[in-house]
Amino acid sequence: MKAFRTLLKTEIRLSIRGMDMFIFAICMPVVVVIILGAVFGSKPAFDGAEYTFLEQSFGAVSTIAICAGGVMGLPLVVSDYRSRKILKRFKVTPTSPALILAVQVVIYALYSIISLILVYATGAIFFGYQLYGSWLQFLGAYLLVMLSMFSIGLLVGGIAPNIKIASAAASLLYFPMLIFSGATLPYEVMPVALQKVADVFPLTQGIKLLKAASLGLPIDSVFIPVVVMIVIAVICTTISIRFFKWE
Amino acid sequence: METTIEIKNLCKSYDHIKAVENINISVYRGEVFGLLGANGAGKSTTIECILGTKKQDNGTISILGMHPQKERKKLFDKVGVQFQEANYQDKIKVSELCEVTASLYKSSLDYGALLKQFGLSDKLKSLVSELSGGQKQRLFIVLALIPNPEVVFLDELTTGLDAKARRDVWKSLSQLKAKGITILLTSHFMDEVEALCNKIMILKKGESIFYGTVQEAIATSPYEKFEDAYLWYTDEEVENESV
Repeated sequence: MKAFRTLLKTEIRLSIRGMDMFIFAICMPVVVVIILGAVFGSKPAFDGAEYTFLEQSFGAVSTIAICAGGVMGLPLVVSDYRSRKILKRFKVTPTSPALILAVQVVIYALYSIISLILVYATGAIFFGYQLYGSWLQFLGAYLLVMLSMFSIGLLVGGIAPNIKIASAAASLLYFPMLIFSGATLPYEVMPVALQKVADVFPLTQGIKLLKAASLGLPIDSVFIPVVVMIVIAVICTTISIRFFKWE
Repeated sequence: METTIEIKNLCKSYDHIKAVENINISVYRGEVFGLLGANGAGKSTTIECILGTKKQDNGTISILGMHPQKERKKLFDKVGVQFQEANYQDKIKVSELCEVTASLYKSSLDYGALLKQFGLSDKLKSLVSELSGGQKQRLFIVLALIPNPEVVFLDELTTGLDAKARRDVWKSLSQLKAKGITILLTSHFMDEVEALCNKIMILKKGESIFYGTVQEAIATSPYEKFEDAYLWYTDEEVENESV
């Protein structure tokens, strides 16, 4: 436990010193809320809708940090620590390299939770946002999104042979998901054809769940998103445990 | 005397190319053992197999009577390791790297005192990446000593150090030796090997071509100085092959 705590404290400092996650996971979602709130104000999401555009977007914006941490931060840090032989150094200590990976997962989970709190606070304080649905359902869905996105990140970081490939793969996952799954560009404004494409991203499914949970809509098609995300989490975790490269 | 490191018939090859072949080493408690040879002779492979970061094809290894892979957690509480490559996080400070290292072990030495001993006290708040080559090298020796180890592995001990710093490191290692710590090191400096090592092995293309004391190495060669003897050992093979 002592090792975990010390390592967590140090890795958080290093992560903050690095600034990337502070910008992409903490600042960016808040900026998006402010823009959405300022542009759309309390306009309904569509004609006759009972909820506002911002309320509709809350679930999506709250996943920006998960996306940044899961498919950008995690793969890069795992691959970086491998190429710097930090994982190897942990092999010749009484702890294991898995410890430093666990610490990283916790750090990205913290970023996501802090981002969720900030996004909610910004919406609530400045734009009168409130969550109509069930917090319990929302947090459950949030956890599931985290689980599936982080498992993708560990998979990419775990098997990419070097940091260049990890970085390319991370960008390939990160940008399309961030733009087309509804996290930044609202899913509703996309043409139907694009929506169909976006549906293949696990994040799109996650956002659908979060949206329904936050708006208190009946989740009629909850089955498919939940299954998609669990399957992805199981597959990615299994493959990354099986094929993880420590060196 | 108690044997702390015991290696029998160690063999390791990469894609059918032999990296090390039939290595036998035993090191007693309180001894300094030097593993010598040109770059690519198999020194690092040998060390990695001993530490269990690489799996040997053949042979048995025991450190402090333990198997380095099966009893990894127990063993590495008592073993300090300095690898050849620097392995630390980007943007980490000296104090942070020391603190994290100390936290990994059940008991650890006061790293402040160790840093002072190796002349790094004023670098506590510096980024590791901003240290000079010699300062980094000394820091990595400090990291290897933080667990208060019974056995220390030092790969390329004083590469990058200036003459004064090398002498200081020798002095510190001699003190550790006197305290009963077992040290296995690799080095390219024969003066250092002569000053520190009780026993040496010279590797050439993965095979042991000499095993014994420095004095024996000199005595069985036509030379008076150890460095000449070392070169004679490593060159002799080349001449034989070219015949």
